[in-house]
Amino acid sequence: MNGHRVFFTFDITEDCHTLDAYKKRGGYEALAKVLKDGLQPADVQAEVAASGLRGRGGAGFPTATKWSFLAKNSPVYYLVCNADEGEPGTFKDRWIFEHTPHNLIEGMVLASYAINSRHSFIYIRGEFDLSYKRLMTALKEAYAAGLVGKNIMGSDFSCDIIVQQGGGAYVCGEESSLLSSIEGKKGYPKNKPPFPAVKGLFQAPTCVNNVETLSVLPWILRNGGAKYAEYGTEKNKGTRLFGISGHVKRPGMYEREVGYPYKKMIYEDCGGILGDKALKAVIPGGNSTPILKPEQIENLTMDIEAVAAQGSMLGSGGVIVIAEGTCIPTLLQVMTRFYAHESCGQCTPCREGTTWMNQIVTRIAKGQGKAGDIENLERIAKGIMGNTVCALGAAAAMPVQSYLKQFRHEFEYFIEHGRSMCDGRLEI
Amino acid sequence: MSNIEFSIDDKKLEALPGETVLKAALRNGIDIPYLCYHPCLSIAGNCRICLVRIKGRPGFHPSCNLPVAPGMEIESDCEDVSAVRKNVMQFITLNHPVDCPVCDKAGECKLQNYHFKYNGSASLSIDAKKHKPKFYDVNERILLDAERCILCSRCVRFTHEISKSGMLGITERGQQSRVEHLESGAAKDDYSDNIIQNCPVGALLSRDFLYKSRVWYLEPVASVCNGCARGCSVDVWRRKHHWKVRALGSEKNRMAYRITAKQNDDINGRWICNKGFDLNKQINDFASRATKPAIGGMDATCQDALSEARKLIFEAKKPAAIVSAHASNEELEAFKKTLGSRVEVYVRKDYEPAAGEVVEDELLIKADKNPNSTKVEELFGKESFSAAAGHDLVLVWGDNVEYSALSGAKIIHLATQKPNGNPDVLIPISTQFERKGSYTNFEGKVNRFEQVFDKPELVLHASDVFGRL
Ligand SMILES: Cc1cc2nc3c(=O)[nH]c(=O)nc-3n(C[C@H](O)[C@H](O)[C@H](O)COP(=O)(O)O)c2cc1C
Ligand code: SF4
Ligand code: SF4
Ligand code: SF4
Ligand code: FES
Repeated sequence: MNGHRVFFTFDITEDCHTLDAYKKRGGYEALAKVLKDGLQPADVQAEVAASGLRGRGGAGFPTATKWSFLAKNSPVYYLVCNADEGEPGTFKDRWIFEHTPHNLIEGMVLASYAINSRHSFIYIRGEFDLSYKRLMTALKEAYAAGLVGKNIMGSDFSCDIIVQQGGGAYVCGEESSLLSSIEGKKGYPKNKPPFPAVKGLFQAPTCVNNVETLSVLPWILRNGGAKYAEYGTEKNKGTRLFGISGHVKRPGMYEREVGYPYKKMIYEDCGGILGDKALKAVIPGGNSTPILKPEQIENLTMDIEAVAAQGSMLGSGGVIVIAEGTCIPTLLQVMTRFYAHESCGQCTPCREGTTWMNQIVTRIAKGQGKAGDIENLERIAKGIMGNTVCALGAAAAMPVQSYLKQFRHEFEYFIEHGRSMCDGRLEI
Repeated sequence: MSNIEFSIDDKKLEALPGETVLKAALRNGIDIPYLCYHPCLSIAGNCRICLVRIKGRPGFHPSCNLPVAPGMEIESDCEDVSAVRKNVMQFITLNHPVDCPVCDKAGECKLQNYHFKYNGSASLSIDAKKHKPKFYDVNERILLDAERCILCSRCVRFTHEISKSGMLGITERGQQSRVEHLESGAAKDDYSDNIIQNCPVGALLSRDFLYKSRVWYLEPVASVCNGCARGCSVDVWRRKHHWKVRALGSEKNRMAYRITAKQNDDINGRWICNKGFDLNKQINDFASRATKPAIGGMDATCQDALSEARKLIFEAKKPAAIVSAHASNEELEAFKKTLGSRVEVYVRKDYEPAAGEVVEDELLIKADKNPNSTKVEELFGKESFSAAAGHDLVLVWGDNVEYSALSGAKIIHLATQKPNGNPDVLIPISTQFERKGSYTNFEGKVNRFEQVFDKPELVLHASDVFGRL
């Protein structure tokens, strides 16, 4: 256990992202197996179902089940790869683009085959420069080698991959607004129903999957779903990419089997806390996931259910480690400013609530907090939570709720004394 | 498909197949609040005031986007739902200026009503409100007070989905969001004024009505637009009798303050065109009204004018009459009964499209700019007056006629507008707004209008005139 890798199977070199290098490490063998051995789309779906793969975009929904929701008998289906990677603290998809973009391309073709998509899209964050360049080069290579496009690998199956650069809005990572954005409209999330699986891109049934989710497919198809299911925990199969940032000595990208202990990751793999300070808190799965205290991660493993049992989420696997001495109200100010800036402004609670929360937290962080501010923040977060068109509202409310719950005394102190318990520091 | 049984607040109800909870509730007289929902527009689901609970399911759901499912049990009146509504109201009013005392929408504003009904408490915010542009120019007819806008997007959806001008959009995001012109949209929208009426708050303002009156001084009277053969249902807003204060001046008490679209699913749905919204200008244009009877250009009494007209008809060898496509069904019938057999009858359209006017479109506007051509043709055919027929007397009924086209015949003119020249007898008649009646539109649909104002003293109703000639 814990030694298996799906992505970290090669050395990072100058050319590890090229087609040649990818092929040398077994790239496109899965696709060849599927297309040449005459596997049917249903067979591919069954293999993915057997793997127990769950989405890596944040919600952790079983991938094969998601595919099975696609409306039946539509003349057109679309597969869309969500490469917006907007969640602060999350940088795993970028690693795939930069070091092994063919993994994604092969995964896209496999998924397209499985759901019968003839035009598949990659929606990539506008700021991703190197990622975009590497992706485009890889795509060109793949087209030239007949791995994408018409009659892939000489088979009957044809599928184009269209790359769309986003404008860099967090909300465009939400699947329905991502689709609006590809359609050329403003990136407003849509009310559900209808779900994209019924009416998605250009009104056709659409499946939106995260980069990592799709990039795992070649491994699963090559080695078999059952093999993949051997890794990880009972309900969370396989490995995941974890991006660790914050106050650790060796931040960066790690691949671990699901179920790996947080403490081991932080103290052994990442070399412990900067300056050998004590641990103050951990944000377990990207900016928006509720913050946990050291005692909560004492025996915690990186797996969806386990983290949920502690009242937080594994989310996108972006772990943010916070050392003792960090000012939580100041940290919350950074968070609320982000969400206030990123709210699309479509629905009332999020449009008004995110800015209102930021206004109050900013006042507190300036030493101008007033009695009642904490209660108001709680009320606002509750008013947003679950009452918005998309989950950005909840993403904005959760940090506020959890920081207040876990570190209420710091807020109270700040309001009462007009200054931070920790000198307003974020850096250590 | 049969109806779907479900319940709201333990009341058993039936929804039509495909209906949403909100629609079914409203149809059954249950009052779920809504702001962004509009029956003719796509569902935006953005205001979030319509949230309800589904028994057995977590969280709240926007009833405007919630299809009714068999056996669904909706809670719309419980404590949780009230708390959510209160929260949403707090959010909506966070930056809203609440300047109801100077807002034209006060008295018919959904936000004001909901505030009383669902919130009722003071703002929880102690920080300054965010100020947005006041009096942003939407077009030559409409202003936007962006501070009052609650971003329900009804106006935006209207211009994209109904009038199709694509004129408006929402720029920026988060709390900076505001309604603005879209560069890609058309600058002109012949239906733009509907967005004023459909704005649930007082953000969109009619330049014409701006600060003219508090709405509770006014009352609507059902009428019909005479601008084209569609004959849209409209409301003409006059001052309530109770508020006719002498000191205000008589013109203010006899003024059409504004026109609004009146829902009529058979004819115009819920919209009218901007020409319809301008009907008040026609009604209020007193300067060009014909108000005094005249004989040969000299003022006369009604009595004298009528006797002179009677004499001329009696003496004429070959009398003719031209009937108006602005006359009501009742007047046309009366004419047919009393005079129709004594004179040769021709028909005439009072109005042709004016320069620059939209001739016809796919939504409402028709090329025939008269409200009752259908009835006129049904009763009197299509033949138009010809000088060659050699008539020595013409009774002209209607406006906008050139006497030179009548080849020197004697003329009796029944007009609402001052004519271009002096007929032998001029009998001023009441306008549509000074009597009741009905028109038959281009599809044969009959639409009634009520009397809005009294006619001036020396003016007669056309139908009263015929029997006396
Ligand atoms: C505000 C918001 C931002 C999101 N951003 C991303 C993102 O950047 N990348 C991503 O894969 N999923 C993102 N998601 C989740 C997607 O909506 C969607 O669930 C995901 O792409 C599904 O892929 P998966 O099934 O492979 O996990 C976001 C969701 C929300 C509400
Ligand atoms: S929750 Fe926020 S981001 Fe999502 S639709 Fe509403 S305003 Fe937009
Ligand atoms: S101007 Fe009125 S109709 Fe338009 S978005 Fe604002 S509140 Fe809604
Ligand atoms: S469409 Fe014709 S009848 Fe309707 S409001 Fe416009 S001009 Fe009047
Ligand atoms: S009326 Fe349902 S969200 Fe606005």
